[in-house]
Amino acid sequence: MGVQKVPVYCYQCVAGPDLLNVVVEDGVATTVEPNFAFAAEHPAGGRICVKAYGLVQKLYNPHRLTTPMRRTNPKKGKDEDPGWVPISWDEALDMLAAKLNAIRAAGLLDEHGYPRLAVTFGSAGIPVAYMGTLPAFLAAWGPVDQDIGSGQGVKCYHSEHLYGEYWHRAFTVAPDTPRCRLVISFGHNGDASGGVAGVWRHAEARARGLRWVQVEPHQSVTAATASEWVPIRPKTDAAVLFAMLHVVLHELPWQEVCDVPFLRHFTNAPYLVGPHGYYLRHGSSRRPLVWDPRQGQAVPFDTPGIEPALEGEFRVRGVEEGPDGHCWAHHAARCRPALALLREHVRDYTPEWAAEIADVPAATIRRLATEYVETAAVGETIDIEGTRLPYRPVAILLGKTVCNGWGGYECCWARTVLAALVGALEVPGSILGTTVRLNRPAVNRLESVRPGSDGFMAQPLNPTDRERWQARPRSRNAYQTLVPLVANSPWSPALGPAHLPWLFLEEPPEAWPPPTLPEVWIIYRTNPVISNWESDRLLRQLPRFPFIAAFAYTVDETNWFADLLLPESTDLESLQLYRIGGTKYIEQYWRYTGFALRQPVVPPRGDTRDLTDIATELAVRTGLLAAYNAAINRGAPLGVPLQSPLYDLRLDLERPYRAEEIWDRICRAATLSLTQGREEKDLAWFKAHGAFLVPFPERQWYLHPVMAASGLRYELPYQERLRRVGKELRARLHERGIRWWDAQLAEYQALPHWKDFPDLWAQVARRYGKDPNDYPLWLLTSRSMQYAWGSNVSLPLMAEVARHVQGHFGVMLHPQTAAAAGIREGDEVVLEAPHGAQARGKALLRQGVRPDVVVVLQQFGHWATPFAKELDMPTLNQLAIMDLTLTDATGSSADLVRVRVRRA
Amino acid sequence: MARWGMVIDLRRCVGCQTCTVACKLEHNLPPQTFWRYVIDAELGAYPEVERRFLPMQCMHCGEPPCVPVCPTGASQKRPDGIVWVDDTVCVGCGYCVVACPYRARHLVLEERWYFGQPTPPEQARRQPARLGVCTKCTFCMQRLDAAPPGAVPGRDPAATPVCATSCIANAIHFGDLDDPQSSVSQLLRTHKTVRLLEALGTDPAVYYIVG
Repeated sequence: MGVQKVPVYCYQCVAGPDLLNVVVEDGVATTVEPNFAFAAEHPAGGRICVKAYGLVQKLYNPHRLTTPMRRTNPKKGKDEDPGWVPISWDEALDMLAAKLNAIRAAGLLDEHGYPRLAVTFGSAGIPVAYMGTLPAFLAAWGPVDQDIGSGQGVKCYHSEHLYGEYWHRAFTVAPDTPRCRLVISFGHNGDASGGVAGVWRHAEARARGLRWVQVEPHQSVTAATASEWVPIRPKTDAAVLFAMLHVVLHELPWQEVCDVPFLRHFTNAPYLVGPHGYYLRHGSSRRPLVWDPRQGQAVPFDTPGIEPALEGEFRVRGVEEGPDGHCWAHHAARCRPALALLREHVRDYTPEWAAEIADVPAATIRRLATEYVETAAVGETIDIEGTRLPYRPVAILLGKTVCNGWGGYECCWARTVLAALVGALEVPGSILGTTVRLNRPAVNRLESVRPGSDGFMAQPLNPTDRERWQARPRSRNAYQTLVPLVANSPWSPALGPAHLPWLFLEEPPEAWPPPTLPEVWIIYRTNPVISNWESDRLLRQLPRFPFIAAFAYTVDETNWFADLLLPESTDLESLQLYRIGGTKYIEQYWRYTGFALRQPVVPPRGDTRDLTDIATELAVRTGLLAAYNAAINRGAPLGVPLQSPLYDLRLDLERPYRAEEIWDRICRAATLSLTQGREEKDLAWFKAHGAFLVPFPERQWYLHPVMAASGLRYELPYQERLRRVGKELRARLHERGIRWWDAQLAEYQALPHWKDFPDLWAQVARRYGKDPNDYPLWLLTSRSMQYAWGSNVSLPLMAEVARHVQGHFGVMLHPQTAAAAGIREGDEVVLEAPHGAQARGKALLRQGVRPDVVVVLQQFGHWATPFAKELDMPTLNQLAIMDLTLTDATGSSADLVRVRVRRA
Repeated sequence: MARWGMVIDLRRCVGCQTCTVACKLEHNLPPQTFWRYVIDAELGAYPEVERRFLPMQCMHCGEPPCVPVCPTGASQKRPDGIVWVDDTVCVGCGYCVVACPYRARHLVLEERWYFGQPTPPEQARRQPARLGVCTKCTFCMQRLDAAPPGAVPGRDPAATPVCATSCIANAIHFGDLDDPQSSVSQLLRTHKTVRLLEALGTDPAVYYIVG
């Protein structure tokens, strides 16, 4: 048989996919290597990261489940052995189909309107690159609840996802690293989370002189490579960002350092704001007004040839539009441009004020703000593929815990306003969006830009008016009811307040449909007991779930509670075509776009099956084959329909197809559609070549040209629409007697104020009857590149190489903190949170950790997963408190908790 | 004759251990054996502290202390500078392990498997000849020696050590130190570099860019 090199993709982290070859020697996969055939096209020279090298061990892991298993112990609990017994695939699929058919017979929704079938996927969207045609089965099914969380919200970049996409089609944000000169990163750990493209681009930039300032409570991997580390108290980042706004707008000559033309013509800075806090509008057209100094009067914002005022106070005739159609007509209202209000808003947020809060010297804040505007190169331009664009080589990045939960809005807003002030938004060198997940089409974010009201992009907010608001939630986290910003795309359920289903099961809210359990819960590539916060709550609730079917790689802490385990063929055993290239998180900026194949490199281990074949079998057994095939024909698996004016590759609705046949058609449709019918590549071609690419213009990395061509503005700095939406949502909820979301409603501010965010966690301690001062440390977490999103925690090879990276496997704390508690290097320590939860681990003493901080890497704490349970590694999730008061308006919280530490 | 060497850019390295694991797979190394890895260390005291990454491996010294101490002649230096061990001659005495100031030599006395029993790839690539003898980084000399015609080590992946071809920060560069046109020679001319424990007179062939 000799040596073969089989091309596949790796999407074990969100920063992929990347392309590799698996070396197969005499029928055995032995190693992997970058697919250098694409070195010129790939943004990191074709390289693959440390996780990809674990794929061979992942394939041959003897702890894998290789046959379906049925639970025999009806009792469910951490201490109850499930009593797994192997069964055939026929038995397994019949068992699941019987449950599903019972749902179809009873009705897809339960008595409270919730879907009886729920599915949960993990790993930040990665599963779609592995789940074959399962999406087509779910599309054929009807209403499916995808709201039951596995940690999203606190584990993603949640506020950035929602506000970023709202402001500049930026589900995540990245610097234009190749052209950037200064990055100020508040905890953004891109050298651990950015994948090969991120690491490669950062390294190239450092070598040419990029200055990177890392502001965070402990020295992450990214801080290690930074030019400067600025330690900061957890959850105080907004104060420093507000103070930077103060410096720019009050201590520096803002008219000189800011990009005034950009503010005038690409933002709402000149929009006049009336006495009720809404834009002052033209009486008949209702277009927002600006002040034209030359005419000495207010005119609609889109009046040609004007240079509207950014300062001053004016008396203007106009109308304010408030919530629920309420209008105020003014004959001579006192109004001011939004920028003037912004300047007033940040007047008291001085560096000295922030220094007290954040423990960052005022001089450092002044220096960073000054350096930021001086490096922004306001006025400079650059040529991109023949197009002259503004060049603004500065970017501010936010980390996970910074832009999540309370304070996330404030940080995202301040960061994006700082970008707008110097025009460093969506232009070469500046911060850029990566992709869209709430808007459509998802393939190219630029195509999602459509004109909306008031000169801004159209936004797909969930309605809050009385007629259209979803008063009765149709799914268990109620994202359409509670979170207007999260929209209603296929990604929205997972981006809603996904922990609420867990919370409400124990603490049902008032005036709300009773929380119910799904009759069937299907989980795939997720382990919520480990990845969700306050995992003890899940342990209490999981035994109540009537039926759990888990696609399973090994036994783990969540499928321990399952009734049925379905061992799918994993990364190197199954077949799928997936999109690559274009722009995509975290720093995947390609000059090409196309499709790559994942294919079996060896026959599947044991009796595992390709998820496409499993989905087809389920469709047959539930009588949904025609609808399932129709969903594939519509493009459910990849977004490429099998029929267009250029081709007709549709499946016959009435007969089942094997995975190879389905993906062959998808391969052909994908290439035909990408090349407008010029090239057709079938599955055999992809198996030989791995990927098909066409050029992707670099100018499409930037939103600015589209905004300029469309005459659109960024909805910054003033959040008039969100203010109105918040008022309406408050009214809707109060009309139904719901008051438990009031704290979240306070987030809807046109110009956000600083709140004492750290104190929220102290208040939670008091709620548990504890003195916060007894829990003086912040427990934080940090990304492990070796593990993040990888579903690879059961691989000894990963543990072995990860041990060379600080933090694997133990509790990092400052020597001074340790000494005060009598702790020495290597001692077993106990971390305890105010609600009584405890976790243990070995002390790792580090100077690069603030003395008021303890750090453990995510995500461990396993007790069932083979090998991983031997790692003796605590996790923040055992201690983080799931609480409504820690939930922000977007439905997320932050990954931290106050703790105390002692020697075990 | 080439003099093979390496230039590692410390400004780029992020300590990810991709080179570590790529080396392990390329050479089918048993658990707990690393021919190379990246040190993750702290310097200074809070708040004036720095976290630094330092890739470590055999330095393929011009004057390798491991060679003269070898009683059997198994430990050798090739004319192209690669220091290697002939495992058909090595008796596993361990003198070279002690003599190497870079701790780059490894003696494995018994077979070890990641899961107790060998997985199919471990079984397929079993190398009993490597038991009880000294093993070490070879600059992937099997790749250099089997390079396709015209392939240039350091430029063409098939003829380049896997640590260099796997590095996701483009930090590890390999090539002919005696060729002024090679990428490593050009990097040495244009950057400030250091070598480890140079004072010992080992003449390492691995350079680190520090500025």
